Amino acid sequence: MRRNLLTGWLVALLLCPTVSAWAAERLVFGSFQNVQNAENWANRMRALLDVDVIVEAGTGLDGRDTYRVIAAPPDEEAASRVRRIADSRQLSYWRLLDLQPAVPLPDQTRDTTVARVKPAAAELPEPVRAPNPKGRPSLTPAVRPAETIPADAVGERSTVQLLDLDVGAQARTFFEDGLDGQSRFHPSISLQLEYYRAWDEERQSLTFTPFYRYDVEDDERTHFDLREGFWTLVGDDWDLSLGVKQVFWGVTEFNHLVDIINQTDLVEDIDQEEKLGQPMAQLSLVRDWGILDLFVLTGFRERTFTGVNGRPRYYIPVDKDLTLYESDKGDGRIDGAIRWSHHFGPLEFGLYHFSGTSRAPLYNVVTDDAGQQWLQPVYPVVDQTGVDAQAIRGDWAFKLEAITRSNFPDRYYAYTTGFERTIVGVFGSRADLGLVVEYSYDDRGDEAFDTFYENDLSVANRWALNDLGDTQALLGVTFDLDSSETILSLEASRRLGETWTLLLEGRAFFGAEPLDVQNPFNPGNKGASVARDDYIELELTRYF
Amino acid sequence: MAGRLIALLVPLFAAHSALATTDEGSFSVMGRTAEAAGEAIFREADRRSSGYGDLQVDLEMILRTSQGAESRRSLRIRQLEMADDGDRLLVVFETPKSIGGTALLSYAHKFEPDDQWMYLPALKRVKRIASQNKSGPFLSSEFAYEDMALEEVEKFTYRLLETLEDDQGITYVVARFPTDEHSGYGRQEVVLDGDAFRIHHIDYFDRQDRLLKTLDVDGYQPYGPFWKAGRMLMSNVQTGKSTELIWSNYVFGTGLDAERDFSTNSLRRAR
Repeated sequence: MRRNLLTGWLVALLLCPTVSAWAAERLVFGSFQNVQNAENWANRMRALLDVDVIVEAGTGLDGRDTYRVIAAPPDEEAASRVRRIADSRQLSYWRLLDLQPAVPLPDQTRDTTVARVKPAAAELPEPVRAPNPKGRPSLTPAVRPAETIPADAVGERSTVQLLDLDVGAQARTFFEDGLDGQSRFHPSISLQLEYYRAWDEERQSLTFTPFYRYDVEDDERTHFDLREGFWTLVGDDWDLSLGVKQVFWGVTEFNHLVDIINQTDLVEDIDQEEKLGQPMAQLSLVRDWGILDLFVLTGFRERTFTGVNGRPRYYIPVDKDLTLYESDKGDGRIDGAIRWSHHFGPLEFGLYHFSGTSRAPLYNVVTDDAGQQWLQPVYPVVDQTGVDAQAIRGDWAFKLEAITRSNFPDRYYAYTTGFERTIVGVFGSRADLGLVVEYSYDDRGDEAFDTFYENDLSVANRWALNDLGDTQALLGVTFDLDSSETILSLEASRRLGETWTLLLEGRAFFGAEPLDVQNPFNPGNKGASVARDDYIELELTRYF
Repeated sequence: MAGRLIALLVPLFAAHSALATTDEGSFSVMGRTAEAAGEAIFREADRRSSGYGDLQVDLEMILRTSQGAESRRSLRIRQLEMADDGDRLLVVFETPKSIGGTALLSYAHKFEPDDQWMYLPALKRVKRIASQNKSGPFLSSEFAYEDMALEEVEKFTYRLLETLEDDQGITYVVARFPTDEHSGYGRQEVVLDGDAFRIHHIDYFDRQDRLLKTLDVDGYQPYGPFWKAGRMLMSNVQTGKSTELIWSNYVFGTGLDAERDFSTNSLRRAR
């Protein structure tokens, strides 16, 4: 009898074109790990609902078998009757409306085939629910948590205090002797301490970061600087900082035009990214319309220049003892700056005005009694207005920096603009590749004595390998579009273990005309001074 | 027998208005389509994890290669719920010391791309980052940026695959499909419990529908009505690499402020 019924079911199944084409709606009454349990449950549903109920075998998560109990009403009327019964009995079920999943699932992961279907038994056994499936994480016991967060989990914000020291050993190796006979190997050691402490629910904090470098070859590169040493008070929508601080503005990779608050520590690196600490009072207002920063800059920091034995440098060395200021207060003039920055969706921008002693000097060429030529830095008082903006669209970041500066010695303008495109997981790897293209223009043209970027195109590849050591590299090249000057630059770093970092840097200068000794300070041929200053730098830093 | 049946299904009672009520026992997928049921489960999960106000937590991240090499990093995380928009998140690195002070600020949005900034302390530079680069690794780990991002229900479409029942309660298996074309995933299969709607396991499939990664979550602890995970293990089945996250020192209600603690200014200050 049973066997006959089973055969009948199977025949019925075969006669139907396909099970999955039965109806527009199927109702799932549960899923089981154990096929017998599923069939028991199917029997009960069949008896209760009086429709075809099938058990569908599939492969669930982690390759475990699952058996779904599915009612397949033949028509709309039967479907609504089944739902009415199920609802009235408070049965758990959910509906499969589409025969094809809304988003197709792959066959191998959810292979649904019609499996054993048994006739209704005379007596229904009690359903046995699926055991906790293998590989499924056991659930946390159903302890209903208290409705409020327990007192020991409610607290004050953490107070932070940290003291770090890093020590770096750096070796710069130049490929040739310098134009002035400087040596090729320049080793140095640097120390930087960082102390930070926050208190008063983080409304107040103190930052103290002194820096020191000892350079074996260049006395001017041996120097101490208080990078930062300031106190901050934070209000609800403002914050105030007093002391020596560093503030960076700008978005582009190569030419840092708008950045002006801090003086460049040029002996550290010619990329203008190393800065000296600037004494200031900074009030920052954080409002709906953006952030407004007001700066009172108390005291001027003179730019650092490599000494007679240092490299790379102008062919004529700079003598800081000859420094002149336009302001009769010398380096004691109080400067000011105001900046508004904001973001609208993908657009980020800043607009500022600076009034004060120029961070970049003009130069006079002077000859001393011994007939030696020196560059004399002259710092005029300038007004500089600038804008920086960045818009992000997909993998693209579009960037712009522009300034206009007065009294240097005349008013001029300059801009740099370009994009960076990031390709995540390049070539199917986990590495990211960034393509940077930036164009720089300076309307002083050949008379721009203090920048390489008068009419230049820079292209770079940025690699981030996303490995354990966070290996990164930026390989760039800058072409002067008016001359054949070309600068190649490389910056790469990786961490070694938890406390060491290795940095590799290099620059090479090509294409300059040979130095004219009669006119060595020629803005139109700046590359001549550094033509023999190609170098590779290795720096190993230990963090304590 | 009917009594036993009812007892088993009591948690599923009151089907029609599962989301309208806030009572815990009221949720059900009953009568919904697989798509609607899947979404309802995640709405419920979202509802139950909302309302904490603000929190801070310490995170230790352990990266392992298939050869057994290990790298650790520790981070401090602050999170703030916003009434009308997605949540705000601030992540600050403590170790390795070489990247100490590096910080990430994120404003999640329900429908637009998230706003994200990164602070690089060596350059004192705040850099806007493209949140569409979401499939890239988060801090070289096996977690992508999108795995770490704050979850918003609207960022996926859903489909309920299974409701498994046993003496410990109901377990849902839901497929979810990223709506963002920049996502690195074709779909994810998520295992949640029907008791408190905690995620216990996720299988991540790539755009070619190959299994890419698996996530296991355990060590859930209740903090009032909120369950917080203690440990997450993300395993990349294609490369054998894994990343373990250990969450500790959850503190709620520290009075974090949207402007004071989650502006680009606070990003510079963060330690």
